[in-house]
Amino acid sequence: MSTRQTIRLTVNGKAYEREVEPRLTLADFIRHELHLGGTHVGCEHGICGACTILIDGSSARACLTLAVQADGASITTVEGLRKRETGQLHPIQQAFVDAHGLQCGFCTPGFIMTTLELLGENPNPTDDEIKEALGGNLCRCTGYQSILDSVRLAASRINTASAA
Amino acid sequence: MAIDIPTRTDQLPTSATRFIGKAVNRIEDPALVSGTVEFIDNLSLPGMLHCAILRSPHPHARITGIDVSAALELPGVEAVLTGEDVERWCDPCFTAPEGWGNYCLAVGKVRFVGEPVVAVAATSRYIAEDALELIQVEYELLAPVANPDEAMAPGAPLVFESRGTNVIQSRTYTWGEVDRVFAEADRIVTRQFRWNRVGANPTETFGCICQWDLADNSLTCRGAYQTPRFMGIGRAASLRLPANKVKIISHAQGGGFGGKGGPRGTDIAALLSRKSDGRPVKYIEDRMEYLLAGGGQSWDRYYDASLALKADGTVTGFKVRLVDDQGAGAEGYGTISAAKPLAAFTGNYRIEAAFYDLTLVATNRAPTYPYRGYGPPPHNLVLESLMDVAARELTLDPAELRRRNYIRPEQFPYTVPSGNEYDSGNYAAVLDRVLELADYKGLREAQTKARAEGRLVGIGVVSTVEPGVFDWNAYATVGVPGVGVPEGVKVAVDVFGSVTVAVGFNLQGQGQFTIAAQVVADYLGVDMNTVKVTTASTDVALPHFGQGGSRLGVAVTGAILGACEKLRQTFCRVVAHVMQTEPEQIELLDGRLQMKGAPSHGMSIAEVAGLMLSRSDLLPLGVEPCPEATFVWVSPNRNQPDDQGRCRSYLTAAAATHVVQVEIDRDTGQVKILGYYIVDDCGTRLNPANVEGQLQGGVAQGVGAALYEEYVYDPQCQPLVSTFVDYLMPTIHEVPMTVKDHIVTPSPIAPLGAKGCGEGAIHTTPAALLCAINDALAPLGLECRETPASPRRLWQLLHDKA
Repeated sequence: MSTRQTIRLTVNGKAYEREVEPRLTLADFIRHELHLGGTHVGCEHGICGACTILIDGSSARACLTLAVQADGASITTVEGLRKRETGQLHPIQQAFVDAHGLQCGFCTPGFIMTTLELLGENPNPTDDEIKEALGGNLCRCTGYQSILDSVRLAASRINTASAA
Repeated sequence: MAIDIPTRTDQLPTSATRFIGKAVNRIEDPALVSGTVEFIDNLSLPGMLHCAILRSPHPHARITGIDVSAALELPGVEAVLTGEDVERWCDPCFTAPEGWGNYCLAVGKVRFVGEPVVAVAATSRYIAEDALELIQVEYELLAPVANPDEAMAPGAPLVFESRGTNVIQSRTYTWGEVDRVFAEADRIVTRQFRWNRVGANPTETFGCICQWDLADNSLTCRGAYQTPRFMGIGRAASLRLPANKVKIISHAQGGGFGGKGGPRGTDIAALLSRKSDGRPVKYIEDRMEYLLAGGGQSWDRYYDASLALKADGTVTGFKVRLVDDQGAGAEGYGTISAAKPLAAFTGNYRIEAAFYDLTLVATNRAPTYPYRGYGPPPHNLVLESLMDVAARELTLDPAELRRRNYIRPEQFPYTVPSGNEYDSGNYAAVLDRVLELADYKGLREAQTKARAEGRLVGIGVVSTVEPGVFDWNAYATVGVPGVGVPEGVKVAVDVFGSVTVAVGFNLQGQGQFTIAAQVVADYLGVDMNTVKVTTASTDVALPHFGQGGSRLGVAVTGAILGACEKLRQTFCRVVAHVMQTEPEQIELLDGRLQMKGAPSHGMSIAEVAGLMLSRSDLLPLGVEPCPEATFVWVSPNRNQPDDQGRCRSYLTAAAATHVVQVEIDRDTGQVKILGYYIVDDCGTRLNPANVEGQLQGGVAQGVGAALYEEYVYDPQCQPLVSTFVDYLMPTIHEVPMTVKDHIVTPSPIAPLGAKGCGEGAIHTTPAALLCAINDALAPLGLECRETPASPRRLWQLLHDKA
């Protein structure tokens, strides 16, 4: 059970090499080995989406992924969005702040990472497309209305910026 | 000297409010969206161990043997805790009524599936979980008590043998001439309702890190604590420690809604630390533990209720018989939630007499806990459903029937039969506005058309009162002592003029840190973003409660205003002394202490604070070099209840009317929400975006309770729900994007006129949806009287009919 394996991966642009137990989840690896606590764990069975991260650009549940499966991958977590040094928020993060798209904030990193993937693929989504993309993320506080507003706001700002 | 708390924003020492009343961004959000907030599982302490808990697979069984030897031999395991330790070191948790509490780990027998039996501390959670598989527990099965009928049957097995009964409490309340109004009624409508268990399910489960200091015999608990001081007192009692030897450090919480739980997990982690030579022990509850036996099961209710009416639609009486399945004891204060409806028993209406027959029963289901609203959501569903039944029988429009019975604006303050006093309101104005917003006439026309096409379209129009700012006196009749819930803060200005507010609670999502910053910034004339709000641990915090009972936004506002007022008085004395005048000649306005009539003569807050801290030679006699003030706010004018539970309990009475249009799919039983409209009145809106967020979030939870969520147990009391695959939390697809508006009737007695607003939507949404569903079913002569009105339940109803 404890035959450890070596994995090499990139997280938020930084390369890591670690020995891990094969059973270690990627969520636990990111949170407790790399000390990136923004990837939250809400259910550990793949329903709530709080632990959503990007693996090679695609959203994934860190709780249902083993660390060893991420060997060789490039991972983005919520910590990778804010600008280093200045601390300036990513437009998606800023939109969630401005549109009151969060309350307790525990599910928020998962929503932001899902939104990052969505807007990367579809910079100008309709409401239905936003709902389709966010349908796998649970929020118990907001009732989703302000989250929908946040994603709309983020999309419009990103589009305006790229048009300029 | 008495401190006056402003009840209006124009009483603040500012020429115009800059932050209060505006949808300003929340100061807590930049860290939350960055993922850098220290939720408890983000914290590790040196030498920390991890706890895993072995739980009972049986609803009712005697423990005949526990063998932990193999677990103890597993490398990495540092301690194993069983009922023997717990019995030696602990007492069962205290409850209201007293004597219905369990130990944190089962002692002698288990009373519900998921009850903790053995706990392990190991160097990793993985190893701790491995160890659980090595533990052998032998059980002798006992017959379970699966529901209140079984529990109250003669000769029923007893959940708590020492009590001699499964009935925790049974009593009646009579308010007014109930028999007469029912005897004189022209019409009485009676229905039975079943509200199945739902619960809070915050996205973050409970977690803590406990450390027992063996030298000092004291305990430090860090965790996701909603009510830190209350939690500390409870731990002191159950762990037999002096209260000042228990320190609670509350971390930001990923939601709570009353159903965070915590006492059991904390006690277990604390005792594992004690057994591990004082090493810190972390316990993070997982979702399956939460769903099985955490703090997330509430309101398991059987109602039989009647409304008495005159022929013109005047409602004169309301009788409710409630049997409430508390599960295995009262450890979670589920009992109290059955008393909460006393604060607004008769809703928005001038109902002159009411009767409440309340029976709280113990069964072998998991113990029930608080959940947002704390009782009124099912109660309002009963009252509002009966209003609709009455409207149908009297062939009155449901909106019109409600309007005829509303308490009128000139009748406030209004004392309801169950004793509470509503501070203010204008229910007809709320109704008018929402009917306009929804184009109610248009909705009814569309319904007529849809019905002609054979579609099942229904409309719900539901009004509720949200009691805000809870008080202990509301719960006296189920055994909670006391009047007054303190909320204390410290406001401090430093030598550079920066302001720090220390509160006793931590973030949970409602935005109270932002409210605190808004209020202090407007009062002291500083920029909101320069205000630092911080959480004091219980060893240094002032008396406080924290979130709960739609109170904290109002309570913390009152506390900050009180502290700021004390600061103002001190500053006036200092400035008067420096200017060689009397304090009465100095006023605070827009952040300056200045001469009345000569505002150019004055000092800024920063200058006064700097002077106080660095020029003691300039201070007047008796003024300490301390530009800080504390204030502990409590609801004014609360009183002891009488023998029928009547008292001025909740300080504020917000109100709302929801209009919802639904369609039921005949083939699947699925309810589709076609439109949802809300007008509410919670007085002054301190931060309108926060209020809207509370409303919309409450709608979502109401949708879950009314249509999807349910803790299902089989007839042997085995829970069938253990994951989010079974417990259906509403997603973005199920929750309607509501259309909202509001009116403002400020509270005449609460700080800045603001009313509690955290629970109003969950008070209203389940009733609105069920009323709409039954409106849709009415042409078929069918009624749904059970929640959730899930597709299966509605399909069954439609199918059985066919």
